[in-house]
Amino acid sequence: MPDSTQHLVTTLSKVAREGATRAGRGLSGLMGQEISIHIPSVRIGTKADACDAVGGEESIVLGTYLSIGGDITGHVMLLFPEQRALECVDLMCGQAPGTTTEAGELAESAIGELGNIVGSAFVNALADQVNLVLHPSPPNVVHDMAIALVQSIYAEVLSQGGDVVMIDTVFEDHTGNTAGLLIIAPDPSCLPQLERLAA
Amino acid sequence: MTVLATEQKRVSVGIGQMAVSKDPTEVLVAYGLGSCIGVTVWDPQVRVAGLVHVLLPDSEGRRSDAREPARFADTGIDALIERVVAAGAVPRRLVVKVAGGAAVLGPANTEKFKIGERNAEAIHRRLKRHGLCPAATESGGVKGRTLEMHVATGKTFVRTAASPASEL
Repeated sequence: MPDSTQHLVTTLSKVAREGATRAGRGLSGLMGQEISIHIPSVRIGTKADACDAVGGEESIVLGTYLSIGGDITGHVMLLFPEQRALECVDLMCGQAPGTTTEAGELAESAIGELGNIVGSAFVNALADQVNLVLHPSPPNVVHDMAIALVQSIYAEVLSQGGDVVMIDTVFEDHTGNTAGLLIIAPDPSCLPQLERLAA
Repeated sequence: MTVLATEQKRVSVGIGQMAVSKDPTEVLVAYGLGSCIGVTVWDPQVRVAGLVHVLLPDSEGRRSDAREPARFADTGIDALIERVVAAGAVPRRLVVKVAGGAAVLGPANTEKFKIGERNAEAIHRRLKRHGLCPAATESGGVKGRTLEMHVATGKTFVRTAASPASEL
């Protein structure tokens, strides 16, 4: 990895840590249980490996996608293995785990809210640190194969030329199971600005 | 020739990759095509099959990354045809099928660059340059797809998160 890229990764890791902490706190509050946060991994050109945390490439996930607008643009996606997402819905609605058995309208609306809070927590932490105005879009609920979603963000970013930087944060519950995967991908045109501001 | 399902070997064709096979026990698979497009080709006479998993529409003259030799629609289609011809296929006999190009992150207008739609257009354009027209296409929409090519029969199947495999 060239020095400049290594430097970018180090800087973004620092920024991501605060964002991940706040996002994890949001997730923990909503679910009423302790959530631990893996130190975000900042990777260049990552694709399929990001899916491992949610059960592999073809596993079905439920989550939310939002785009970031404002001074810096990019993509934010929060994914849960399908079963885990349904458990989250039960926890959020104060129901016994196992009550929700399929991703209906109520489940999708709850997941949309979850993605909004967790994603916005990350984006706001980022905005505070670099002192910029960032606007997350309304969340769009996604329910699909993990790789199809991750790949689509990869393509969106890669199509603009330059490095694809993806920041993956894995959330775990107290039993060590994946409680969620948060993927942040800034658009390449914003990377130099982000690096300068965060330095 | 009958091939038992248990003997099948699934060959995963990742993003920007391609595979060409004459081995009747193989099933070539592009898992979870989102905005990506999978293109299968099959020459029924010599029973050569190929599958390419394209990520972006246009190389714009850029060289392909060695790790993703079939990253772009234009150079990816060229490379696939070259490979199947080298394996004994004849271009005018090729049966071509196309799947993918969805807008999985949301309705098309929330995706800034409409990659899926542009990929589909680019694939059709490039195939036309080779004098080829897909026998079947399943593209667009908002759901990811997995595309399979059974080398033994030349049959292709598409499935989504919500629907079981159906023949394309």
